[in-house]
Amino acid sequence: MWAIASGIEGNLAAYEAVVADLRKSRQEVENFYLLGDTIGPKVESNQLIKRIQQPRKGEPTPLVCQGWWEEQILILHALGRTGSPTELIDRYGIDMTKTLWDAIDSTTLEWVRTLEFEFVELDCFLIHGSSLSVSDELTPSIDPIHAIDRLSRMDVNQLFCGRSGLAFEYRIESGSLNSQVQTLDNLTAPTPTILSNRRIIGVGSVGRVEGKASYTLYHPESNKLAFKTVRYGTKKGFG
Amino acid sequence: MKIAVMSCIHGNYEALNAVLSDIDRQQAEKIFCLGDLVGYGPQPNAVVEMIRSLDIPTVQGCWDEDIVEGLNACECSYPSILAEKRGKRAHEWTNDRIHPEVREYLAQLPLSLREENLCFVHGSPHNQHEYLMPEVNAFTALERVMATGADVLFCGHTHIPYVRTLDAGQLAVKVRQPEGSSTKQFTAPLKQIINAGSVGEPRHGRPNATYVIYDTDDRLTTLREVKYDYQLTCQAIIDNGLPAIFAWRLAQGLEYAERAEDPTHVCER
Ligand SMILES: [Zn+2]
Ligand SMILES: [Zn+2]
Repeated sequence: MWAIASGIEGNLAAYEAVVADLRKSRQEVENFYLLGDTIGPKVESNQLIKRIQQPRKGEPTPLVCQGWWEEQILILHALGRTGSPTELIDRYGIDMTKTLWDAIDSTTLEWVRTLEFEFVELDCFLIHGSSLSVSDELTPSIDPIHAIDRLSRMDVNQLFCGRSGLAFEYRIESGSLNSQVQTLDNLTAPTPTILSNRRIIGVGSVGRVEGKASYTLYHPESNKLAFKTVRYGTKKGFG
Repeated sequence: MKIAVMSCIHGNYEALNAVLSDIDRQQAEKIFCLGDLVGYGPQPNAVVEMIRSLDIPTVQGCWDEDIVEGLNACECSYPSILAEKRGKRAHEWTNDRIHPEVREYLAQLPLSLREENLCFVHGSPHNQHEYLMPEVNAFTALERVMATGADVLFCGHTHIPYVRTLDAGQLAVKVRQPEGSSTKQFTAPLKQIINAGSVGEPRHGRPNATYVIYDTDDRLTTLREVKYDYQLTCQAIIDNGLPAIFAWRLAQGLEYAERAEDPTHVCER
């Protein structure tokens, strides 16, 4: 069984809730993926990253890839794939550059630098955004032709992503398309291209909604998916 | 209305002249150009001046971009080191000779043009450097047309003309979310990709210039192949000190040996 999560966004309590839920399930987690946005623009992110790097006995070690927030902090430190933090400023305003800069300490930054962009395992591609970019937000209402494009760019049957924060399975059950090519010397007969059973899976968001963490379980042998939601208290005790 | 669409003139003035005369004979009312005005060939300035004097709506090609921006594409643009070396020499030659106003003109060319349900790009709507080969997966091809919102996508860049008709598209999609699931059926309307070939550096196996005529009323495409005195251009290539292999290639109408391994690969630099 695989557990796949995304968007912790520095929310330590939410992460603890997911890890506790996995432990409770008593099933062996072979792979535990965190598909980016593990950090968010808050100091707690540093504590979370320490926690992630030191799994307790019986806990799976997460495989972590870069997300949107990781990309933003790298850009601020001139370590990103693009030069200027335009996307960050467009979305959150100029003050966010300082908030994010101040929040993430150098140890966390070094850790972010070591992260992969994506994972490929069996016929699955696991990434924060999509095969197009880290910002590409795939949702349940995506156009099917675009969905097929994202899948075929990586030549996989299943694409797991976390950018939208939503939990969903978008399955192309069947598809066919005729194609006919005329060249200067030749006209081919119309040829059908057939495809079936490809899907995009939104794995939910651990930390975005306070008090409610969602993630996804996947069984590679049976191809079964389960969307999990864990409720947790945001304040401990009666204090 | 009959329109003519041409691409990849590549500094070959003789070929351009021949194609323009043929367009006259075909009585096309409007001409569109899909870029790559310069590169490889010996008359880049004359070609650009001709296109400008005729006010032909033109998109920027990969070579036009490289002349303006400087070569910064990764090695993926070239199928081999040898091809890369030749490409670089042609780039330097063109870069040294191009007039400032020609460079300015190339710099301001748009990446795509739109005319009613027709869209015009150089490589693909996503990237000037992407090769939309006729054998690209049909759904991928359809995505490229749909990305433009048009019904017909005109492109060049491969130097081999073709018309690809994508039809009878059907898709069944099931969406499952924690709050419920739904099934949707989609039908894709008929779409076409029309590759205009190459005026000045054809690769379809003959030295003749190629372009297309499209009739917007009956949606019919005619692939045109135009004979001209390519030996004049070959001679000018050699006289100007461009790599002789370009003259050989022009006379054969062939791409020299290699092909890119993954034609849909898009350089992200
Ligand atoms: Zn070209
Ligand atoms: Zn080109």
